[in-house]
Amino acid sequence: MKIHTQSFLLFVFSSMLVLRSAVVLSENIIGVAPQDEEYYKGLSSSGTIKCKDGSKTFTKTQLNDDFCDCSDGTDEPGTSACPTGKFYCRNAGHTPLSIFSSRVNDGICDCCDGSDEYNGKIKCKNTCWEAGKVARDRLRKKIETFQEGVTIRKHDVEQAKLLVAKDEAELSRLKNEENILKGLVQQLKERKEQIEKAEEKERIQKEKEEKQKKEAEEATVKEQKGEEKVNVQEQESKGSNSEDDGKIHDHPPLGQDLNKGPADPGVSLAHDDDDDDDDDDDKDASVDNIEQHAEKNEESSKVAHEHDPSPGPGSKEEDASENAESLSREELGRAIGSRWTGKKAEQQQDEDAGTARNNDDNEDDETSDNAHEEEDSGYDTETEEDHQHHEEDDTEDHMDDVGGDEADDDSSEHKYESDDEMDMSDMEDTSNPSWLVKIQQTVRKFLQAVNPFQTPVDTSESESVRKEYDDASGKLSKIQSRISSLTKKLGHDFGSEKEFYSLYGRCFEIKENKYVYKVCPFKEASQVEGHSTTHLGHWDKFDESYRVMLFSSGDKCWNGPYRSLTVRLRCGSKVEVSDIDEPSRCEYAALLTTPALCLEGRLKSHDHHGKGTRR
Amino acid sequence: MSSECLLPKPTHISILKNPYYDHHTTDRSTMKSVVVLHCFLGFILLLSHLNSVYSWKKEEFRNCNQTPFCKRARSRKPQHCNLIATDVIIADGDLTAKLITPKENPHEEDSSSNPLILSLSVYENGILRMKIDEDPSQNPPKKRFEVPDVIVPEFESKKLWLQRYTKQVIHGDSADSFVVYLFDGYEAVLRSDPLEVFVREQTSGKRVLSFNSHGLFDFEQLRVKKEGDDWEERFRSHTDSRPYGPQSISFDMSFYGADFVYGIPEHATSLTLKPTKGPGIEESEPYRLFNLDVFEYIHESPFGLYGSIPFMLSHGRTRGTSGFFWLNAAEMQIDVLGSGWDAESSIMLPSDQNRIDTLWMSEAGIVDTFFFIGPKPKDVVKQYASVTGTSAMPQLFATGYHQCRWNYRDEEDVKNVDSKFDEHDIPYDVLWLDIEHTDGKRYFTWDKVLFPNPEEMQKDLASRGRRMVTIVDPHIKRDENYHIHKEASKNGYYVKDASGKDYDGWCWPGSSSYIDMVNPEIRSWWADKFAYTQYLGSTPSLYIWNDMNEPSVFNGPEVTMPRDALHYGNIEHRELHNAYGYYFHMATSDGLLKREGGNDRPFVLSRAFFPGTQRYGTVWTGDNTATWEQLRVSVPMILTLGLTGITFSGADVGGFFGNPDTELLVRWYQVAAYLPFFRGHAHHDTKRREPWLFGEHNTELMRDAIRVRYTLLPYFYTLFREANVSGVPVTRPLWMEFPDDEATFNNDEAFMVGNGLLVQGVYTEHAKDATVYLPKDHTWYDLRSGTAYKGGKMQKIEASDAIPVFQRSGTIIPRKDRFRRSTVQMENDPYTLVIAVNSLGEAEGELYIDDGKSYEFKKGAYIHRRFIFSDGKLTSVNLATSASEGTNFLSDCTIERIILLGHSSKPKSAQIEPSNHAAEVELGPLQIQSGARSSVLTIRKPNVRVSDDWSIKLL
Repeated sequence: MKIHTQSFLLFVFSSMLVLRSAVVLSENIIGVAPQDEEYYKGLSSSGTIKCKDGSKTFTKTQLNDDFCDCSDGTDEPGTSACPTGKFYCRNAGHTPLSIFSSRVNDGICDCCDGSDEYNGKIKCKNTCWEAGKVARDRLRKKIETFQEGVTIRKHDVEQAKLLVAKDEAELSRLKNEENILKGLVQQLKERKEQIEKAEEKERIQKEKEEKQKKEAEEATVKEQKGEEKVNVQEQESKGSNSEDDGKIHDHPPLGQDLNKGPADPGVSLAHDDDDDDDDDDDKDASVDNIEQHAEKNEESSKVAHEHDPSPGPGSKEEDASENAESLSREELGRAIGSRWTGKKAEQQQDEDAGTARNNDDNEDDETSDNAHEEEDSGYDTETEEDHQHHEEDDTEDHMDDVGGDEADDDSSEHKYESDDEMDMSDMEDTSNPSWLVKIQQTVRKFLQAVNPFQTPVDTSESESVRKEYDDASGKLSKIQSRISSLTKKLGHDFGSEKEFYSLYGRCFEIKENKYVYKVCPFKEASQVEGHSTTHLGHWDKFDESYRVMLFSSGDKCWNGPYRSLTVRLRCGSKVEVSDIDEPSRCEYAALLTTPALCLEGRLKSHDHHGKGTRR
Repeated sequence: MSSECLLPKPTHISILKNPYYDHHTTDRSTMKSVVVLHCFLGFILLLSHLNSVYSWKKEEFRNCNQTPFCKRARSRKPQHCNLIATDVIIADGDLTAKLITPKENPHEEDSSSNPLILSLSVYENGILRMKIDEDPSQNPPKKRFEVPDVIVPEFESKKLWLQRYTKQVIHGDSADSFVVYLFDGYEAVLRSDPLEVFVREQTSGKRVLSFNSHGLFDFEQLRVKKEGDDWEERFRSHTDSRPYGPQSISFDMSFYGADFVYGIPEHATSLTLKPTKGPGIEESEPYRLFNLDVFEYIHESPFGLYGSIPFMLSHGRTRGTSGFFWLNAAEMQIDVLGSGWDAESSIMLPSDQNRIDTLWMSEAGIVDTFFFIGPKPKDVVKQYASVTGTSAMPQLFATGYHQCRWNYRDEEDVKNVDSKFDEHDIPYDVLWLDIEHTDGKRYFTWDKVLFPNPEEMQKDLASRGRRMVTIVDPHIKRDENYHIHKEASKNGYYVKDASGKDYDGWCWPGSSSYIDMVNPEIRSWWADKFAYTQYLGSTPSLYIWNDMNEPSVFNGPEVTMPRDALHYGNIEHRELHNAYGYYFHMATSDGLLKREGGNDRPFVLSRAFFPGTQRYGTVWTGDNTATWEQLRVSVPMILTLGLTGITFSGADVGGFFGNPDTELLVRWYQVAAYLPFFRGHAHHDTKRREPWLFGEHNTELMRDAIRVRYTLLPYFYTLFREANVSGVPVTRPLWMEFPDDEATFNNDEAFMVGNGLLVQGVYTEHAKDATVYLPKDHTWYDLRSGTAYKGGKMQKIEASDAIPVFQRSGTIIPRKDRFRRSTVQMENDPYTLVIAVNSLGEAEGELYIDDGKSYEFKKGAYIHRRFIFSDGKLTSVNLATSASEGTNFLSDCTIERIILLGHSSKPKSAQIEPSNHAAEVELGPLQIQSGARSSVLTIRKPNVRVSDDWSIKLL
């Protein structure tokens, strides 16, 4: 780098000397670029030359005589007479510049050497040296960055090759393991089924025996018959109760359903219904509330529109049933009931802070579309009161909530595929080949040792088989999910040299006023404000030969398009997102610096450019 | 229009599906959609409806049937009026009479009515003024409202004091008619029984304009409320208490010798006003004049829009042009009656003349009307201008291109947009900031995050000669910490509701009150708010935009203020509604005048307007839509505004709502470049549409359109001066220039810029060429190629890259062909004169120059030349009256090029006097552009100064 700087300054000095000699040329040559000087020399020798576009010829006196003779402006390089002309400023000490002829003598200093303002109306200071210095410093920094970036990029590319190879190796190994494991699981399954058959047989046998025994008893104790009937009825009624439970679990998408459901008048229902907001207003139409309402309404409309494109049928259903599983029956009853009654949910919140917090989390989830769904166990018991709670709560509370949730948000970069990571760690032991051997041996042992035809079945052995089966099939599904995530990952286009590989699984953030913008290449982009997340787009593709990342199909804008983000890429030694902007409604733009864009070829051209200024 | 039941519906749910309304808290990136509209019970939000296709909600506005006075007036039959004129005398130079109902035949409705007072006054240049009001000596319950501050003070000095009348019996009437002098060859006649007031040609006796020829005059006099009177009116959820009861006025007005009638903006309709009632006309609404913020107005509708000018013109081949103006600020409805509408009545009218009858209906006020005799189109607009004033002389910068968007978000955005214009070498003069620049829609404030350094930003723009415009609306946020609100509420400066409390409506900032601008004291207070010390962050390069001044009230009846709201002087809002925005505009304009000590011409754009608005600023056609139809209708809308006094007007280029196709956008630029006010604007839900965003070719086309405008600015500025002096608009319907060419009478797709340029818009997709009618008896030179076309027929013109524009033979047009960043840098650039000779080898044109910003021109500091070309010699003649001492305007500008179109000989050089030097004559391009062919006769570098007398003789 030092060598660069020194030679650089040397060039600057020599360029000043060169310029002095250039000034000696005719004064009419003002505005002429050095490469054109030869062309204008024709005037001195032959008296007339052709306009560059061949439209006309002009004489020496017509050169820069402030009258446009050539429609392409060639006779007026130094005046504003021809609208299509260009004026060349030498800008000694800085970069030469070709400016529109409309800038000549317009009272605004455009060239740092002031040569574009020569009619005496204003005086332009020559700022080339200072500006040049700034530019040179900037360029030097840029070159430094570039060099650094090139190095990092090289490393990244090599690394990516290794990692991709590793991923591929892992993938093929996992596929292999999957095959083996599939076989084992199949065997275990068969064995398990055999055992179960045997057990069933045993059970039937037992029942038979018991029945016979009972019948014998029955015969002896005839007067107790009526009582027994009651018992049977009791058992039956119990059975039907559990069926009811099942129905509740299967409740259709709750929020939506409730909106349409026959609601108690005056009671606010699910959060993403618009009507409930109105009820709200009817209660209190004071100015402040209306304002709040306005904002709230925006939020809820946002939510509402998220469901617009395709409301993802079933996802809520799943949530609900998951909820139901994790809740006691009483809690579930309250939760569902609170959608009608509202009040009780509040009580429940007081009683069970944990649940309340979960509800809060859930709102994040709501607005962030699928963003967190993989990570969060969805929870869909949002109520009007919860919403109220959000509106009225101190923001601090939210901050706490959010902070607790996303502790690593403060850093400008983080990894997003926590599921992936977990899988990885899990797989760490599965990827140990001894494990596979072990499990194979175990299974073999079982298959040999356990005799399904043995009666009575050895309960400890059947337990072991069952456990072995559960273990093996659990591991199989983990392997399969790892395979699918690896396949998905390797399916991405990481660039011609896989130079973008290192961006996979990472997110980059920038805080802009009250928003935090998150850009996760190959995944998604979002805008977070406090507790609400707006989805700016899913990963779409690279564009403009890897100079642009496109994220599309984000949350729908009200009355507008689906949000999208265009990330322009620039060479930088660090990966950083900057300059986030929304030039058109819901069409976002950002800049991302990354070493991936630091191409050696470009560095050379920069270097060259740097030298150019010194001429 | 379907008629809707007048009864209030059981539930009143008003929903405005208006994104413009909905985004009042719009923030830079979260979508903020707020639907605000309420019925008295509260707010109803039905977001589920919001995604559907939005469009004009006609049910939210009253139609004639839902408007009792309109319904009543419209249902009356001819010969309804039984008033007669008595006690006719000359008093104070006026002819006055009492209008009474004859005793022997008492009218059943008005048996107890008092006499009305009618007065006729005559003014210079053929203007008859007729006033009818209640007799003050009869002590009516309330003085009816007369709109002050509209008629220019000079007008009174033009009054001709009538000395005598002559009596005459007309059509075998039983009573005398009274005839007074009006103008050379014209008389005004008061026919007493049946009552009629008309203007006639003296010699032929032919009627020109006639009031009440069909006896539809009706004047509801104010009376004391009797028990059982129900004066309330209900519309949707709103109730109008109407404490003064019915007070409407209606009458018929006939235009003789008329083939078409024009005027009465603002409506999105054709230039010629189609009949709204009569045989063969299906259910139709009258033209409504009621200033309204109409969301997504449609391109063919008689419905009222943002402004109102009750001035109608008629034109016919034989008679020429007449005009009629009713100064009244209440809601007005006007029917153009189709021929044969009166077939069933037994009225006998002169049948040898074409006639167009019209019915005028107003909810309140008085009859204060003006009859303009013409007879030439320009005479009528001049006559109207002598009553309401000519248009203000704009600053030069305002005639350039304006770039607006809702919203340029922050200082960086502003910087970027500004620098992109330079990057693409596209000139522009003004960058605009919409409501989001404020701190929470508190006008006169800045959003501290988005615009932390407004002064610096303006100074930076100004360093390249550019101005900025910010928006200031009349609704004031009811926020105790907002200084404007604090002062206004403390001083009682707000409009009051019917109960006398500050009226509280809803607009962008939420709960808002509205400054009562009718009061001069309040206007003066408001004007002071524009002082640099008051409007913090404002600089001398900042100008103002008044929006929402109809006024727009989101939760008011028909999105405006209740009619029973009260203004200063106990004036009901119903009486002055249409003038509210005018007073606001006036006060703002005065503010800009004040802040620079009265020597910087204000620039204030207003959406609402009224007669007189032309004296205060510019208007635009409001929230149009990005469709071809709206591009098409913008032309007649702007031409109509020009005919009715407001020449400095334009439409949002590209269309406010929606995303224009690239081709539409390009075509819009191409047409709008020739219209007086030239501003690109867009709704914030739309994609960015600055001219460089659509590929190099389209950038070039749009740049070209904008540049042509800039090259023609000397011509435009000269025309603005003409409008300022005479009232003749900058852009004119063809018939104004060619009143004898019938083919032009209803042409509203082409228009004239001055008398020299004919512009034909392209209003359809994929057009490769355009068919244009070129008026007869002239030769027309294509502005780009110089090709000559004969007039009097349709011509098919290639139009793929530009719209057809022609210079008329016999004219000289001044241009500045050098391209600059903005008008400021063009100041010293030399001129090009383009001479298009007529069949006699002659041509004429004018050039007006002043400093482009101050009022020094009023003291004579300007250059005004007439260029006359005749017998192969061009002469520059001074038109300026000698300036007072020390106020000469000096310019070193020269003429660098003179282009001759249609000149028969081939001169080699030209002799210039008095300097006695020669200039070369050669073939050069008509427009300098790369690859231009040299084909037109060009005098090279005559280098005469524009300020001097000189002549150039072709040799």
